[in-house]
Amino acid sequence: MIKYFVPKSLKEATEILSQNDCYILAGGTDLMVQKHRSASLLPTFEKDVLFTNEIKELDYIKVDKEGVHVGSVTKYEKMLKSAQIPDIFRKTIEQIASPGIRNMATMAGNIGNASPAGDTLVPLNVFDAYLVLSSTRGERKVLVSDYIIGVRKTIREKDEIIKEIVIPNLDLEFDYEKVGSRKAESISKVSFLGAYKLEGNIIKDFRVAFGSVSIKVVRDKEVEKKYIGLTKEEFINRKEEIVSDYSKLISPITDHRSTKEYRQKVACNLLSRFIDNIK
Amino acid sequence: MIPKYLTSVKKVDNEEKMAGLALFTDDIQVEGAYFAVTLRSEKAHAKILDIKVPTLPKDYYFISAKDIPGENVCNIIVDDWPVFADKETNYIGESIGLVVGPDKEKCLDLLNEFEVTYEELEPVFEMKDSYVHKEFTKGNVDLFKSSAKVFSESFETGYQEQAYLEPQGMLVYFDKDDGRLTVKASMQCPFYIHKAIMRVLNWPEEKIKVIQPAVGGAFGGKEHYPSLMGAQLATAINKIHHPIKMIFDRKEDVPFTTKRHPSKTDISAYLDDKNNLIGLKIHVNIDGGAYIGCSMVVLSRALIAATNTYTFENVEIIGDAYHTNKVPSAAFRGFGSPQSIFAMELFINHLADYLGVDRFVFKNKYHVKTGDVTSTSGIFRDEIVLDKIIEKAKKMSDFDRKFKEYSKPNSNRGIGISTFLHGCGFTGSGESTIINAQLKIKKDKNDIVTFYTSQVDFGQGNRTTLKRIVVDTLGIPEDHVIYDAPDTSKTLSTGPTAASRTIIIVGGLAAKAAQHLKDIWVSGKEQEIVEPYVGPSYIKWDEDKMQGDAYPGYAWGANVVEVSFDPVTYQVKVEHTWSVYDVGHAIDERIVIGQADGGLAQALGWSYLEKEEAVDGRFMQKKFSDYIVPTSMDLPEMETALIDNPFKYGAFGAKGAGELTFVGGAPAFALAFEQAIKKPVHKIPLTPELIMELVKDED
Ligand SMILES: Cc1cc2nc3c(=O)[nH]c(=O)nc-3n(C[C@H](O)[C@H](O)[C@H](O)COP(=O)(O)OP(=O)(O)OC[C@H]3O[C@@H](n4cnc5c(N)ncnc54)[C@H](O)[C@@H]3O)c2cc1C
Repeated sequence: MIKYFVPKSLKEATEILSQNDCYILAGGTDLMVQKHRSASLLPTFEKDVLFTNEIKELDYIKVDKEGVHVGSVTKYEKMLKSAQIPDIFRKTIEQIASPGIRNMATMAGNIGNASPAGDTLVPLNVFDAYLVLSSTRGERKVLVSDYIIGVRKTIREKDEIIKEIVIPNLDLEFDYEKVGSRKAESISKVSFLGAYKLEGNIIKDFRVAFGSVSIKVVRDKEVEKKYIGLTKEEFINRKEEIVSDYSKLISPITDHRSTKEYRQKVACNLLSRFIDNIK
Repeated sequence: MIPKYLTSVKKVDNEEKMAGLALFTDDIQVEGAYFAVTLRSEKAHAKILDIKVPTLPKDYYFISAKDIPGENVCNIIVDDWPVFADKETNYIGESIGLVVGPDKEKCLDLLNEFEVTYEELEPVFEMKDSYVHKEFTKGNVDLFKSSAKVFSESFETGYQEQAYLEPQGMLVYFDKDDGRLTVKASMQCPFYIHKAIMRVLNWPEEKIKVIQPAVGGAFGGKEHYPSLMGAQLATAINKIHHPIKMIFDRKEDVPFTTKRHPSKTDISAYLDDKNNLIGLKIHVNIDGGAYIGCSMVVLSRALIAATNTYTFENVEIIGDAYHTNKVPSAAFRGFGSPQSIFAMELFINHLADYLGVDRFVFKNKYHVKTGDVTSTSGIFRDEIVLDKIIEKAKKMSDFDRKFKEYSKPNSNRGIGISTFLHGCGFTGSGESTIINAQLKIKKDKNDIVTFYTSQVDFGQGNRTTLKRIVVDTLGIPEDHVIYDAPDTSKTLSTGPTAASRTIIIVGGLAAKAAQHLKDIWVSGKEQEIVEPYVGPSYIKWDEDKMQGDAYPGYAWGANVVEVSFDPVTYQVKVEHTWSVYDVGHAIDERIVIGQADGGLAQALGWSYLEKEEAVDGRFMQKKFSDYIVPTSMDLPEMETALIDNPFKYGAFGAKGAGELTFVGGAPAFALAFEQAIKKPVHKIPLTPELIMELVKDED
């Protein structure tokens, strides 16, 4: 028999997880779709299910010197309405699904789902955001980029639950573009986030991430390092080299949504435009 | 009857729909109903050698061709579509049989245990085997031989899914009271289903009844396919004598039910040495899929519409519908004309460019005028106000200024205008020879009037408008008129809900019947009238030769679409649309505007978002997360104006509005887009992936 748990506290949840191998279900906007079978039939879960929705203590947005802490049951719509959430995250979330879905869905779910097309994963990577995983054994912090190791694959231990996501403070100029197949309710074909900081004429920080062009978000700190410290002019002059570096890093596929040629070209175009727009 | 005003009333189904009270097929509960799920072919073309049926538990059944008492054929205009694939299968997803039983889950599990052995045959996916060929000419096409130059182009359009909100579904049971086999389904044409069942069971008419519940959209997709489901479920209930429900999942509905015909249209303009146009040759090719079904009629309409709003002295029109091993293509809003009109609208602009003359002056020279001879040598009789329509559309959109401005290099913006027409009602003499609608209206002792049609309101509002026609004609209070959804045991056939015929034909019939009742009205007495359809006497049509007057009347329109283009992502944004329509007299303006916005939205979707790709006969896009219909966020502000031009034979002067609003969207979009990228377009949907290729071969 499949069991369903609706814990009311984090402690209760971790205790359940220490005893039972569960699906963790937050908004269910990924999980229910994956388990959908046929009209008028309920989805089937082959393991126990733990619902996080009633863990009210994890429904929060808090700010401290580490950054913004987003509790794992916090809905997107709440994030959208909160001035504490960095603008670039709100800009990303605004383009996810539609209000109905955003009233259910969570960022923890976006991370837990570990899809190459998860939209928040792109800014989370650029910010070096991390998770706090909780279990009866204690807590550990993991970078979002380390947590996800493949398509639908994470390093979560069976007894762990994402308690919160921490978005460190980051004061950069951003350029985000989601390229979907339409303006709403659309899965990204390519997404792009470029960020930089100019001090005087020097590129003090430079970060780039792409979504939907590889099994994981593509970000490469080695490549970024190569260009940090250049003057603006040097940086802009090396546009072709930068684009070529990233072009080699991404490996998109052709599927029923788009082609690898399109994804590759648009990713490069977005990066070029980002560089062109540096002022 | 003199037209009143363009007033709008509350739709009769507003409240039940808003409150969620309307019962759609799947909402209707019949105690103990079994479920049916479909065993589908995995091969595009193969012999079926053996079907290994798993051991079925008690109360579970497998229904296949063997169980059909009558003929294994579902007539959709012609007799080529089998109810169940028997010895051979012709497309992936074709029904081989049904698994029926009390628990849907169990039925689905059993489905996985079937083993079908095939012997694969060579499938055909390209348009090369024509199964319907038509051709006709107007004027003297021998003159083409003397031409000095020929300008030729080829245009392609893709599949389109109807994307109704409510998927296909059907419920069958025996009515306890009258014993009839009763069908409730999401459908357009109750009598089509009724007939399909008679054929498959060898039953007389009186043993069956088809009743329409609330229907959530159709767009042509529920014109024919429900007949197939009806024949299948009738076979099943005849064997097991138990109520059965079959509801398709979206992932079953999208890839396995009928679609809009993909097309390829070749047009050649023959010119003399002074660049005068001698005439045109137009060859329309449509992909009909595995069975002909209604493809021959779709082809007819495509051909008749091929010269669009232009009169050419000499034309040669050729059409082919092709057999391919793919899901049969069938009815969809516009019924072939959007494909050929798309080609013609682009071609005539390109031709003007080729000749180096002003597009608008050139088109104007050929615009249809009242009294002109149609391409099928009929006559455009009604008053044509095309020039007013164009003028108004241009003025509303500030067209001339924008057209000039956006033609500058790197504008990344464009504006396009299309003109178009739609013949209302069945093609040719179909209304009087095939359909022969008869409408019954009766009055009881309390002077309460009831009238009956077989017209389905699937959201487009005809329950409201038809009722209004009768109420207004009789001049009695609205609640003295009863007009229920069709039930084939109560109504005579007033024909299918298709071909933009409901208001022009059935509305006209309802008005006439009501007037006759009014003429003989005796208060307190039971009275009944059966009003037969009598077409305008001028309609003479030869379907074999494709000669004569093709339609009783035409509705007209112009669409203006403005787009912007992002050269970084190759995405297009529709910025604004303006439309002007002549639908005769709009009985209810709001309902017409609803059709206008919806029709254009659907056409825009077809133009740049909705891609359905068949790879080796298998559709790739199966759900709304990958088959991309426009959302409200994708749609711009849409401005629509109506030009009042009452039509003599329509109810209260009305012509058709349902399909007209679809046909001009794609060419207007494509013309706007061409201006934005400064390159000609020959193919839709213009997805960003295709646009990338278009733009690329420049650099
Ligand atoms: C119509 C529609 C449109 C969509 N559009 C977009 C879009 O534009 N962009 C996009 O990125 N996504 C989109 N999605 C996908 C989905 O909405 C998002 O991924 C969302 O963030 C998932 O959140 P959830 O709370 O619903 O996750 P759930 O479905 O509840 O869970 C998803 C995964 O995360 C795990 N999980 C959830 N909470 C925790 C936790 N606390 N600890 C550990 N693991 C956890 C679950 O076990 C599961 O594996 C769309 C979905 C739909 C149905």
